[in-house]
Amino acid sequence: MTATPRAEVATPLPRPTGRLERFARRQGWVVGVAVLLGALILWRSSQIPAFGAFEVRGIVAGTMTLALLAMAQTVIVISGGIDLSVGAMMVLTNCIAARLMLDQDLGPVVLVALLVVAVAMVLSGIIGAVAVVSGVPDIVVTLAASFILAGLALIVLDGPGGGTNPRFQELLVGGFDQPLPAALWLAGIFLLVWVPFKRSRLGIATYAVGSDRAAAFLSGLNVGRTRIAAYVMGGLFSGLAGLVTTAFTGSGEPRASIGATATLTSVAAVVLGGVALMGGSGTLLGPVLAAFCLALIAPLMLGLGWDPNYAEVARGVIIIVVVMIGGLLQVPRRAR
Amino acid sequence: MSQPLLQTTAVAKAFGPVVALRAVDLSVAPGEVHALLGANGAGKSTLVKILTGVLRNDSGTVAVNGEPVLLRSPTEARARGLAPVYQDPALIRDLTVAQNLRLTGVEVADVRRELAAMDLDGLDLDEQVRDIPLPFLRMLDLARALVFDPQLLVLDEITAALPPDLSERVFAIMGRWKKRDRSVLFISHRLAEVREHCDMCTVLRDGRNVASFHPGEGGESQIVAAMLGEASAGVRDVARERRAARERDEEEAPRLVVRDLLIDRQDAGVSFEVRAGEVLGLAALEGQGQDRLFEILSGNARAAGGEILVDGRPLRARHPYDAIRRGVVLVPSNRLAALLPQRPIRENIAIPLFNRVRRWGPINTGRERRQVSEAVTRLSIDTRAAAQARRLSGGNQQKLTIGRWLAAGFRTLLLFDPTRGIDVGTKHQIYDLVRELADAGAAIVMFTSELREIGLVCDRAAVLHNGAIVAELPPTASETDLLTAAHGLEVTAV
Repeated sequence: MTATPRAEVATPLPRPTGRLERFARRQGWVVGVAVLLGALILWRSSQIPAFGAFEVRGIVAGTMTLALLAMAQTVIVISGGIDLSVGAMMVLTNCIAARLMLDQDLGPVVLVALLVVAVAMVLSGIIGAVAVVSGVPDIVVTLAASFILAGLALIVLDGPGGGTNPRFQELLVGGFDQPLPAALWLAGIFLLVWVPFKRSRLGIATYAVGSDRAAAFLSGLNVGRTRIAAYVMGGLFSGLAGLVTTAFTGSGEPRASIGATATLTSVAAVVLGGVALMGGSGTLLGPVLAAFCLALIAPLMLGLGWDPNYAEVARGVIIIVVVMIGGLLQVPRRAR
Repeated sequence: MSQPLLQTTAVAKAFGPVVALRAVDLSVAPGEVHALLGANGAGKSTLVKILTGVLRNDSGTVAVNGEPVLLRSPTEARARGLAPVYQDPALIRDLTVAQNLRLTGVEVADVRRELAAMDLDGLDLDEQVRDIPLPFLRMLDLARALVFDPQLLVLDEITAALPPDLSERVFAIMGRWKKRDRSVLFISHRLAEVREHCDMCTVLRDGRNVASFHPGEGGESQIVAAMLGEASAGVRDVARERRAARERDEEEAPRLVVRDLLIDRQDAGVSFEVRAGEVLGLAALEGQGQDRLFEILSGNARAAGGEILVDGRPLRARHPYDAIRRGVVLVPSNRLAALLPQRPIRENIAIPLFNRVRRWGPINTGRERRQVSEAVTRLSIDTRAAAQARRLSGGNQQKLTIGRWLAAGFRTLLLFDPTRGIDVGTKHQIYDLVRELADAGAAIVMFTSELREIGLVCDRAAVLHNGAIVAELPPTASETDLLTAAHGLEVTAV
């Protein structure tokens, strides 16, 4: 055989996407949410005379639980699932931690903290495994699990109570005018847990499984194991959220409604943060920024002198408007 | 003769009651480009999936280099030297190409080398898969498979989505593989490619291997004959005589006229006419645009150009409702997509009726019941499973999808492969029903993947190839002619 016979018309290679276009496509949403957050912060800072360390600490430490729950929800949603038990998991870990940490020195308290996170990871992994093995939809399994976890929380602590070590509190969420610890923890978790995870084979597999289970299987992935791993990651984040609650409030609170509300807000943050509920796309940063946006609305309303109850209405409106705008901006791409 | 590289013995596979493979013996020698041929549904893709570890065979053995192997996953198959390029690209759309490669444990540099060998090194591997056109995804899939340096490269209809110059590059790879004494299992509907590039071919029919020969020697007619088998000498139905007896009124204006309809921008365009009382049969290989054509006709998708006339007036449907109002209704191939699977038969039939039965306010259940029971009797639907449509057998579901339009009234019926997966007895009931509807004055367009049905049911046959009608044949045309035309080849003698 001589040279390959070539047809006269060569098919042109696809035009490579420009850097800017690619950045806009992949990170556009996150940038948008960041801009929204920036605007909200500016607005808030113009409302009060002294926008200082105290205020910043209040926002950062106060939003940390929601940010962590948003992370938990994000990983699981990216893998193609959804977890309606993240809030209950937070409540349960808060109760375990508050009960065991009461009147302890820092050393045992840190050990308890590690134990609590490990428990959350194992429990969440079991929940994921049940969904994977039984084939029952994630939404059903995790909804059921949320009742179980809420019940366990009440068994651990039958009413508000427990406590923790003040040093531990300061370490995790900082004193009244120290925004740094909470911010550092969030940044640290992002850089030391998420970034390596996202670049690892497991991280890519998580996206793959969420994007297209059949294609992921054909690529030789263990789909079930990857999904369970996402739940374990989710457990890590919701366990941390429980610890932060303990540190922030200094006690344990087993009320189930707290968990339920937190779960729904985490889903809202995921949606607002540009993570597709169908799975397979999105970043962790988006939902974290979105969590801060959602948390800022109540103080903003307060600053305007509005009834704080309107904050919930405003939250809902913002979610719908932002997601609608985002959807409109993405239409041209779908038509390609 | 040397030991075969791949040998399957009596491989069988069933999906529930549907038997995909009965017993397949396939033998591929080293250094051989082996074509796997067969009509739609003959079992080619199932066999490929078994060979590459996606599906497990129910019985029979697969041996590589004489050694029986168990292929439980795509990874295990690759480890045995069997690497596939599937019909649908196995690349994840939300990831970049490079990420996809890492997922399968492939070095990006290796893929770049393979791409360079195919003169495709200009492809940007940091692009997201969703942004890359399909032909290049197939080439990427191929490059990825080559990196595993497989002993047997399995190409499932890779050329179907490729323009000629890229197809040539695939053939060059096949030639290279052969020279290295490795083998290729090549699946294609394009018989010219098979004749030119394959050393052997095995023809599957109804889940069995029916012939193996050198495709270059026998010519296309031998291949087509093997694909169709004895069934091609099928008997004609009484319906034909009825048809012959009826004098067609040439004066009457056609019910449905399709003119230069562009299914896709690049296509030449589809044109045909159907009169009242006529059944037009549409024959095509898989993926020639028939799915999209039916979606367009039923108002579910928009054409890229051309026009549709119903009763002489243009139909520009933006919604199936627009088409239904003009009396154009679709019975799709996926029956469960057309029905409300969890709802009773009565509601399923009544749904398209709602526009008539009910204007505002509550539904007139008495009238609904009457019309539904008329439809049920007329179709002889087995109503024992009346509680939920999904519990009906495939045949009864199909009758139901037709029946709901019967009750609602229609003038033009689009049937997409109405007898797929239906038992023979019910098939004949459906043929009779289609003829009856036509005789009652309906215009019917029926796509079928079973060429036999053209002769049994239709008044005329049109052959769709690459988004264009390439031939119009009388219903008496042999299946060989139909299949030849469907491959885009000239039909010599009609």
